[in-house]
Amino acid sequence: MAFEHVNSLLVADIGNVHTRLVLIDVVEGQYRLIATSRALTTAAPPLSHVGLGVERAADTMARQIGRGLLSLEADQMFIMPEAGGHGVDEFLATSSAGRPMRVFLVGLTPEISIASGRRALAGTYVTLTDTLSTDDLRSEEQKINAILRDEPDLILIVGGTDDGADDILLDLVKTVQKSLLLLTRGKMPVVLFAGNRALKRQVDDLLSPVTEVYSARNVRPTLADEQIFPAQIELSLVYDDYRTKSPGGFVEIGRHSQVGVVPTAQGLISAVRYLSHLPQKGVGPLVADIGSANSALVAGIKREPHFTIRTDLGMGHSLASALEAITPENVQRWLPFEISVDEMWEYAYNKELRPATVPGTAEELMLEQAFAREILRLLVADARDDWGLGQGDLLPAFRPIIAAGSILTEAQHPGIAALLLLDALQPVGVTELQADPYNLLSSLGVVAFLKPIITVQALEAPGLVNLGTAFSPLGRIQYGQDVMYVQARLADGQIVNHTVRGGEIWMVPALPGDPVELAVKLRGGLTISGRRRFKLKVTAGAAGVIFDGRGRPLVLPRPRDRAARFMQWQLAMMGQRGGPPPSPDAGALLPSLEDLYPTPEEAADANLS
Amino acid sequence: MPTYPETTIIQGLARVQRERRLPPQAIPRPVHIVAGQTVDAVTVVLAGDILKRYRILDVGAFFDIRQAQKAAELIEVSEGQRIQVGQELARRGKGRRAKSMLSPVDGQVVRIEDSRIIIQARERTVEIQAKIPGELVSVEPNAVQVAGNGAIIQCAWGNGQFAFRPYRFLPDEGFVGLSKLDVRISEFRHVVIISPAPITKGDLLVAQQQDVAGVVAPSMASNLREFAMQLTFPVLLTEGFGQRRPTELIYTLLQSNMGRQAAFDAAVPDPWSKDRPEIVIPLPSGGTLPPRPALDQPVAVGARVRIIRAPGYGRIGEVVALPDAPQVVGSGLRLPCARVKLPNERVVVVPLANLELLGQTVGPSRADQRT
Repeated sequence: MAFEHVNSLLVADIGNVHTRLVLIDVVEGQYRLIATSRALTTAAPPLSHVGLGVERAADTMARQIGRGLLSLEADQMFIMPEAGGHGVDEFLATSSAGRPMRVFLVGLTPEISIASGRRALAGTYVTLTDTLSTDDLRSEEQKINAILRDEPDLILIVGGTDDGADDILLDLVKTVQKSLLLLTRGKMPVVLFAGNRALKRQVDDLLSPVTEVYSARNVRPTLADEQIFPAQIELSLVYDDYRTKSPGGFVEIGRHSQVGVVPTAQGLISAVRYLSHLPQKGVGPLVADIGSANSALVAGIKREPHFTIRTDLGMGHSLASALEAITPENVQRWLPFEISVDEMWEYAYNKELRPATVPGTAEELMLEQAFAREILRLLVADARDDWGLGQGDLLPAFRPIIAAGSILTEAQHPGIAALLLLDALQPVGVTELQADPYNLLSSLGVVAFLKPIITVQALEAPGLVNLGTAFSPLGRIQYGQDVMYVQARLADGQIVNHTVRGGEIWMVPALPGDPVELAVKLRGGLTISGRRRFKLKVTAGAAGVIFDGRGRPLVLPRPRDRAARFMQWQLAMMGQRGGPPPSPDAGALLPSLEDLYPTPEEAADANLS
Repeated sequence: MPTYPETTIIQGLARVQRERRLPPQAIPRPVHIVAGQTVDAVTVVLAGDILKRYRILDVGAFFDIRQAQKAAELIEVSEGQRIQVGQELARRGKGRRAKSMLSPVDGQVVRIEDSRIIIQARERTVEIQAKIPGELVSVEPNAVQVAGNGAIIQCAWGNGQFAFRPYRFLPDEGFVGLSKLDVRISEFRHVVIISPAPITKGDLLVAQQQDVAGVVAPSMASNLREFAMQLTFPVLLTEGFGQRRPTELIYTLLQSNMGRQAAFDAAVPDPWSKDRPEIVIPLPSGGTLPPRPALDQPVAVGARVRIIRAPGYGRIGEVVALPDAPQVVGSGLRLPCARVKLPNERVVVVPLANLELLGQTVGPSRADQRT
């Protein structure tokens, strides 16, 4: 079916732990998120078939909404197109599941073409095995062994400006050809050429008799111009091909989707590209996604997506490698209790063994949230150069900041989800914090290519959860000193006055969705978005409206004060003020996630009414 | 809504079918087996050479001949030919004055380009055992399916080694007591030791010194992973890392089959591999085929489950209710849960994500139908 006629759309995002399904359909002329469901991903042995997980999630969804989705016909997974209130018009799939693609990178110079190649690769789930460039002093034998040693799935060749010098790059291509000719067993890597366009034909002549050759526009058409987007689009096709050839049943799932199985990160990047072009305040959107095996940070700067994807940072499959990268000492800073380094490693290794499990105690949850904060901080540190930030520079004024991944979106309270973002990213000024609990963003990023109106309307409401607007002043703040004087007029006319002190977080006690009129005055030397006084009308989110008086950069409390201060922050973000720390089973007293996050159905109803 | 948790098979008697496969880059060597054949656990069912590093040998340079064609005429081997270290690759001259270029490695000639011979050197030879006694269900050049009957205990971690040996529980004095035994007459020599308590590096050193055939324990410190990986006998952890309580059912099952030999396959866990660390104790099935463990059953009231996270780690109980609404658990998270009755009759609320099924067969599974 051509996409222009699509009304209903089912999108699966197949993660390493969960497979999430979202159903988008037209309600009173607008595309809306109708239902969501999820099941455990079934890509890994012994089941080795992602289709089972998708079917289970679809079955759950069908029962929820009373709409048949699964087809009884052998060659058709879903009832397509929609008819008689059952089925859907189209199905799409994104995935971050499975082993990352191993890539060998070939380019002219490490500083220019190899650097661009690396940036292009950062948009999908890859492990870079090695690189080869003209200043490589290894012997031919060593180069061949370097190419083939780690059995790459893909060789990415970049280099040369368009119509520039060609001989040197061709020599490198010939080394690749020689290497591939030696492969008599195992899997033949495919080649993606994204270098000097004048060489495309010669590269094709040399390599296509040996392996499958993809090509994309040059990542460096001129020395001053970098264009990695076309290479990324091609990379996502290569990734789809890699996935379909890998065990796990991706080929069957891909067959039901017009665009195959798109990398989740590629969907996020597309979504950020789309969001960056919407009228906005601030620099652009920032999406932080922490998965089980991979993590991604995608920022829209000057209407272009900038991204960092790490296949060694995750809360499940990659927790041990993540801990190695973030270090136990850094994690400890976020914990109000003592835990030994060995215990932290044991937690990480056990989580790797059983990545689908969830924290069973309050301490375990705090530990996982501490891991998440440090993973986000590391992602930001990785992205600094790309964002043009120096060491110590504060985060650019991204608006909104969107959190994805269970650890960020399924905290014990939306306020804690917001706190994790504030702690790890330390935004300055006015920031809208949002959560993407259904992994809708990556799906809509893919849809944006096919039918942008679906993305436009489905994103409006109720797909993303508004956690709230955070106000974080810039300037030196002393603990206990007055920072901001806030007057908030709530929807019922009640006026709340509060003085936010240094080291304090305060949440305006407003109900989610209610308008709040704010009048804010800051102490001398402090500003928010360059102003000392301002009035603003905002909509309270699931975590209300947040005033963060802890200063930037955030100075963490001394170990002896840590437990008390962390508890104050947590309680403040859950709408409770001060009081003793909660007992381990305090969770029983807390409001539920569902109470504060409306379900898509409820949100859709609210929207309609 | 049905929920399908992870499954770890712990069963007293089941039909166990496993695939044994050569690594993808291996060149198979002939092994004389046929489908239907009965095999022991240690029967080699597949063998092959793993070739890795490429060596480029220039015949022209060796004989100091500039013309590539002339040098190429001296080459004595052909593409695809298996070669051994010291084998003549090229020769110039005849008789006593002949000069030979010899292969520096075992391997295979993968390409001859003008006067250059490219050899892929053999890195190692692999021999893959059946690992469970039983019958070969199918035989292919790179893979076989082997099936047998027995008790099966899937574990959390292994160090990559394998043994098919009798096993014994650790004496009451633990590894300290074991260390006092004379290794020459020790009843624990060449026997796999079952320790119901977590093990230490000292315990592993004692096991090594006592020449045991393997160690099974609930857990060990995660910083012993590297050390354990260097040991030549299997180390299997039934629970994981740190101080973990043993799952009683596992150790009861091992106790009840004491005196038998068992296959201790300490496969290193890899989420993308079919191999899981496991213990298979071959058992007679009385002429009938026991059921295959179910791998994709939904959790249901009456199901036996294991709790795999604190609190309650390692306890096995029965699901008595599956509340429709998510429940708030000790962490403060609100999650889909099951009410699980423990052997002491206490009922606890456990997130479904922290439960695993034990492979009990309830009905034909969809995975079975697919395969």
